[in-house]
Amino acid sequence: MIGKSLKFIGIASVAAIGGYVGTLWMTPSFIMDRAWLGLSDAAGVNNMLHLPMVGAARRGIVRPSPDLAYSICPFDLSKGPLQVHAEPVPGHYWSLTVFDSATNAVLVQSDRDTEGKAVDVALVREGQRPPDGFEPFVMPSDKGIALVRVLLNDRGEFPEVAEIRAGSSCKTIKS
Amino acid sequence: MRARKLLGYGLVILAGLALGVGGAVLQIRQGLSSGGIANGPWRTSENIGTKDASLVTRAVVALRGLLALPDSEAVYFNASIDSAGDALDGNCDYVLSGGTIPARWWSITAYASDGFLIPNRTGYYSVGSAAFSEAEQADWKIAVGANNKKTPQLNWIPIGKAERFELTLRAYHASPEMLANRAQTVLPEIKKAGCAS
Repeated sequence: MIGKSLKFIGIASVAAIGGYVGTLWMTPSFIMDRAWLGLSDAAGVNNMLHLPMVGAARRGIVRPSPDLAYSICPFDLSKGPLQVHAEPVPGHYWSLTVFDSATNAVLVQSDRDTEGKAVDVALVREGQRPPDGFEPFVMPSDKGIALVRVLLNDRGEFPEVAEIRAGSSCKTIKS
Repeated sequence: MRARKLLGYGLVILAGLALGVGGAVLQIRQGLSSGGIANGPWRTSENIGTKDASLVTRAVVALRGLLALPDSEAVYFNASIDSAGDALDGNCDYVLSGGTIPARWWSITAYASDGFLIPNRTGYYSVGSAAFSEAEQADWKIAVGANNKKTPQLNWIPIGKAERFELTLRAYHASPEMLANRAQTVLPEIKKAGCAS
């Protein structure tokens, strides 16, 4: 009887550990997938959407910073490499971050890294080759999100910053 | 007899799975308030936004801070309690007191407990280092509350009608010392200034 109870406890414990680890493991991909779908509905795929000023009415992504101007590009590399361009905004912190489908920031370039120069990168999958002249970055997943942030010294300067960051873009590279 | 035995095993496995999944969901919803690195009322974690983060941190950040920057760009500290250990209460006013934060730029933002910005009549949600002159950076105060009638001279983070709220301190391009000593870096004190009766 005791042996049977121990057997049940053992099986339940293994199942509990599996459920616990599995849930933690799958949560980032599940949430990223939902976010990607929502953003691609709004922005389209392989297109940079320049978001309006962050405020309480905007509830797309949790914990947005009201001090940043965001431009966002949900991408899918299954049809070819993607060209991403981040336009410098002089006198401001700005950065390009590329996230894979499991929420990992796999590429980050800020104004400190580029010494104020623009970022131009081609996101590719293993085996894809961008045309000459593009700096390739191999992505671990087809889908992901490229995000450009520009720090506002004051929310009043948003229109001026928005005009400059409108130069940031992402688009499929035609071979 | 065999079917009954299989059913028994199935139920045990289901119960175990439910326990494991439930425990994970509870932990994720709790956020980093029970883990990570503590510094007074503030909590943070290492390797946010990267695959080097722990399973728990990755899941929590996906739910409560999706698309966060990695440490090299920004360090995030979150507070859901004041310096006395009491939960941040929307019926109370608070004063944050701090000094130089070793980063290129910093800001403090109030969020509702669901992680979104709190509607308020001013349209402002944060106060950052840009609000202070170079001389003021070493010794500053910020008011946090539904209104700033008691401390009109201070920069103010409005919290509208939130019952509970949280504060997030973002430090962009933190110094190497801050990155290495997150638990010891001097961070703002969060002091209750009074509550509505």
